[in-house]
Amino acid sequence: MLNVGNRNTRKLNWIISVVLVMSVVLSACGSQEAGQTSKSSGSSGNANDPLEVSIMTITPSAVPAADDNVIKRAIEKATNSKMSIQWVSNNIYSDKLNLTLASGDIPDLIMINDPFGSTFTKMVKQGAFWDITPYIQEYPNLSKGIPDIAWETTKAADGNNYGIPRPRPVTGDSFFIIRKDWLDKLNLQVPETTDELFDVMKAFVEQDPDGNGQPDTTALAAYVSPDDLGWNGNLGPVLGAIENSFIGSNSSWKWDKTEGKLVYRELLPEVRESLQYLTKAYSSGMMPEDLLSLKLTQARELFKRNQAGIIVDKTGTMRKIYADDLKKVDPSFKYTDFYPLTNLNGYNPKGSGYNGILAIPASVPEEKMKRILQLVDTWMNPEVFEIQQFGIEGTHYEVVDGKKVASTEKLTADNASDFNHIVNVIDLPWDTTGETEEETQANELFKKVEAERDKTSVADLSAGLQSETGQKILPELNKKIQDLKAKIILGREPIEAWDTFVESLRNDPNVQAMSDEMTEAYKKRNGQ
Amino acid sequence: MSVTEQHFSTHKGRQTSSKRNRRTKWLSALRRDRSLYLLALPGILFFLIFKYIPMWGIVIAFQDYSPFRGILGSEWVGLQHFTTLFANPDFALLFRNTLAISLLNLILFFPFPILISLGLNELRNMTYKRLIQTVIYMPHFLSWVIIAGLTLLLFAKGTGLINELFALWGWPRVDFLTNPDSFWIMVTLQAMWKEAGWGTIVFLAAMASVDTQLYEAARMDGAGRLRQIWHITLPAIRSVIVVLLILRLGDIMEVGFEQIFLMYNGAVSEVAEVFDTYVYRTGIEQGDFSYSTAVGLFKSVVGLALVVIANRLVKRMGQEGVY
Repeated sequence: MLNVGNRNTRKLNWIISVVLVMSVVLSACGSQEAGQTSKSSGSSGNANDPLEVSIMTITPSAVPAADDNVIKRAIEKATNSKMSIQWVSNNIYSDKLNLTLASGDIPDLIMINDPFGSTFTKMVKQGAFWDITPYIQEYPNLSKGIPDIAWETTKAADGNNYGIPRPRPVTGDSFFIIRKDWLDKLNLQVPETTDELFDVMKAFVEQDPDGNGQPDTTALAAYVSPDDLGWNGNLGPVLGAIENSFIGSNSSWKWDKTEGKLVYRELLPEVRESLQYLTKAYSSGMMPEDLLSLKLTQARELFKRNQAGIIVDKTGTMRKIYADDLKKVDPSFKYTDFYPLTNLNGYNPKGSGYNGILAIPASVPEEKMKRILQLVDTWMNPEVFEIQQFGIEGTHYEVVDGKKVASTEKLTADNASDFNHIVNVIDLPWDTTGETEEETQANELFKKVEAERDKTSVADLSAGLQSETGQKILPELNKKIQDLKAKIILGREPIEAWDTFVESLRNDPNVQAMSDEMTEAYKKRNGQ
Repeated sequence: MSVTEQHFSTHKGRQTSSKRNRRTKWLSALRRDRSLYLLALPGILFFLIFKYIPMWGIVIAFQDYSPFRGILGSEWVGLQHFTTLFANPDFALLFRNTLAISLLNLILFFPFPILISLGLNELRNMTYKRLIQTVIYMPHFLSWVIIAGLTLLLFAKGTGLINELFALWGWPRVDFLTNPDSFWIMVTLQAMWKEAGWGTIVFLAAMASVDTQLYEAARMDGAGRLRQIWHITLPAIRSVIVVLLILRLGDIMEVGFEQIFLMYNGAVSEVAEVFDTYVYRTGIEQGDFSYSTAVGLFKSVVGLALVVIANRLVKRMGQEGVY
């Protein structure tokens, strides 16, 4: 043992303690400093100084754009701004957003993925965000560049816009995509009704479409996740798309002409029919047995690994998400075999025209708020927006015969498309030219399908409508509905359980109040 | 150690002085051990800043908290959130599930590391013992996300390894993951697999401190292995077991959010929804911060009460408690 009483060691003790304490104090200072710079809510002084703005949005990339990213720098230069961007992974955005809102320390420009989510709606009511309605007209790109449907469907209950919608095309919404090569191999036609789809699914399971002699294929890459509550009958994109095809709409509400009111989706007899259909499909092995344990990525894996023939996704997802991986397993697969369906039972969904909105907290002074709107407006100018489309001349693209030819690889390496999650312009004509002949053909096919779909697509008639009672009861109710539907599909509960449940919904005063409020909001909006 | 003893003795000499000296005594004690206090300072600051100051946040359980208005500006609603919770028809369900999983943990999981440690303690081959220890410690370092993934790979009905084996042998496939009947036992076994090995560390350490002469004496008296375990090893680690048991009772309302959340699915919701997942859903997903804080507070109060009661009981039985 050391003789601790010794003078020297005592001195040593002192030094150690001081170093330890100092390190704690210093690290505390460090984090405080970092916190202050990231806030940057101070006034930018002179109107000609670059606008300092903090932004929070989604990134689809595993490694988000760094602070000194060349494309970011170019956009900053073009818009006279200095952005500190907080990129948040797609998977956890809702949670991160709610936590950020709860903290009260909100970035100057924040992407709200669901403008009708309860936290945001509550805060809007308390006046926590700027109502930008009176200002929109002053910015030509905002008022004309963003489609009316997007402005309309993102209006809050009071009819005002509390954020700039991030526009998305209304065509090409998530719908069935089928393996055309499997269909051809089994001599089947592209299905047009849910019954035909059932036959195709049956064949995909029983007739060995991949030709390996093993009964190892499933038809529909389906999954049911609690993340999808409140979406497509709470069953999520895949099984919800089947339910929607039965109903002929992706809305939670249907207009009843004879009664003159909106009817809650779950009360419709079509939901029961679709449940029976799904139950039968599940017991016949047409979807993964572990439906409830799978996550989105695992369901996608099934398609990528040549084990499922049908998925539900946006038409444009082909190459990046599915086809290139699938080609590694099945080299004979062509991009055009990734075949989007046009209609099922004469139905296909129309997109809502937006994907989230960009809101500005009320704590931002008016002058700065206007400059932020100006920033987005300038960013939407073609010459600025082209920076994230094509990158920088010499680095990302070359001009060949007066046309910009960009390298997808270099653009991806510099996270170019990440910036679409802040500002995106959609009215550009769809350029079908791909990097290869095969891709061009596929793009042309998708364009044709989308044009076809556009003729029959159905919009959500309740988009943007809100009911106060609904906000209160829906979170719990949606969960109950998903659980019960899942159990019925798995065969754990008989279909009669659904009838009992629907009966209880019909008698629930809260559901009635919600229906009344929705009907009123609908009538008010349609000027009745 | 010698420094404290030294000071203690000089201190004693001065102790004769009267009460008014108490203050200076306190100061001198402070000055004397200043380096020790300085060493403790970061720890104290840590607890103050990260544990005690945030604790004031629980006042939002009695408010209609709005992040925009802040704690000072939000409206006070008294016990409203608590009455909402107790009136919630799902409250009984939450309580049942939480308690059931916790009790299963207590009955199956808690004694398990003790049994393993007793077994390991009997091993005489050191290399073999170290090897086993390393292997059983390992799962502790895996995150729940990985364990949930492994579970899916092994137990999934369609593609899981175990079910593939069953199918190969011509047995029917078993639904492990979406079956409400097996959910509780599945999560308990999962937790045991992950943490039991890690849990042996404390017990093994306690056993290592047992005087070997006791065993020798017992052997002389003709005691076999089991007798030795029963009369020497177990009594030696009794106090450790009691302390850990009391601490465990404090966590009875927490069943490991991550684990349950990851194993959760629609088919098992009526047995899998516990207070922790409920707090997450209402608080984070629905943004009902005050309500979820109230639920969390209720949970903590129950845990605290259990610790206090258990500690009293244990002390009354003549054992040493946690405090």
